Amino acid sequence: MEKAKPKVLPLNKRGMNFEMFMWIITRLTALAMYGLILTAIVGALIMGARNQMNLADVLRWGFMPNNPHVLNTDVPDLAPWSTPFWRTVASLLLLVATAHGVHGLVAIADDYIVTPRGRRIVRVLSIIMMISMSLIGLYVIWIS
Amino acid sequence: MKVTIKIFRYNPEQDKKFHYETYVVENAHETDRVLDLLEHVKGYNDGTLSFRRSCAHGVCGSDAMRINGHNMLACKTLVRDIGDQITVEPIMGLKVVKDLIVDMEPFFDNYKKVLPWFISDAPTPADGRERLQSPEQRARFDESTKCILCAACTTSCPSFWASDDYLGPAAFVAAHRFVFDSRDQAASERLEIVAETNGLARCHTAFNCTMACPREIQITQAIGELKMATVTGRVE
Repeated sequence: MEKAKPKVLPLNKRGMNFEMFMWIITRLTALAMYGLILTAIVGALIMGARNQMNLADVLRWGFMPNNPHVLNTDVPDLAPWSTPFWRTVASLLLLVATAHGVHGLVAIADDYIVTPRGRRIVRVLSIIMMISMSLIGLYVIWIS
Repeated sequence: MKVTIKIFRYNPEQDKKFHYETYVVENAHETDRVLDLLEHVKGYNDGTLSFRRSCAHGVCGSDAMRINGHNMLACKTLVRDIGDQITVEPIMGLKVVKDLIVDMEPFFDNYKKVLPWFISDAPTPADGRERLQSPEQRARFDESTKCILCAACTTSCPSFWASDDYLGPAAFVAAHRFVFDSRDQAASERLEIVAETNGLARCHTAFNCTMACPREIQITQAIGELKMATVTGRVE
């Protein structure tokens, strides 16, 4: 029998590069979004959303647990919906969603922009857009 | 039965642009293959019709073409499975040389990039015979040994249509064939090649390749296994 080759290749011998790192990051951020959205929906139901909000408002809160999303509902007290915990969940959701979405856009753009220079420009613009959107979003979450 | 077959035609010596021509094949049988119809048209209607064919039994992979919008082998596609109105076009993403013949060079260039041959520095076994492996080790890459290089998968892939620098599913299948072979010792080199900018990251898991493969290879799964190998390093 042939001598067995290593079952697991070391990190620097398996082709792991920026492309594949972002590929796995995109998968992990998708899973994180599921977890955070589920946390927000379950939290909303525990805080009384079942009797105080309609389905659309619950989902809006679920996708971004930010207190302005419960302003126009029958929620009597906004305080439980404005805690640092929910602001942190909203911030995490914003950051993982932005990273996931912007990398998705870059991946699609790479199909059509095939020159190294063009791809570099798209990457720089995407990173600027990602940082800008994240900063604006964090500002809105923490001052509201 | 009567079958109407509409065929993509392009002769670079005469035509500025491609066009379609329609032929009617009388007395066709529902068990006829599309290749039989093409042979009939070439033999009785227009001898200038050009297409590739060799074994005519689904082994050589010469006659991959787009039949009613789907990549198939003309020699494996029966009239009864696709009806009596048939449109035949060349596979997409490669330059048309004439009629249904495309320039396969970009496809084979990408294929060669993944080092699709056995690599091992291990000395030949003392008895001078085969390098043995267990049935389980052989089964690990059995699927990807079935590839006949027809290019049906690669030319059905939207990422390849966008850029022929993209390695494409067939090259990934070839890489899978050796990366998971217990006897091969160049998994690392191959993974570095398939993980490059025009490699695995360009696969958007559209599943077109799996749908198109005439050998029913689970190509998307093989690509997924290569992706995970670059992340986890597991190559057994």
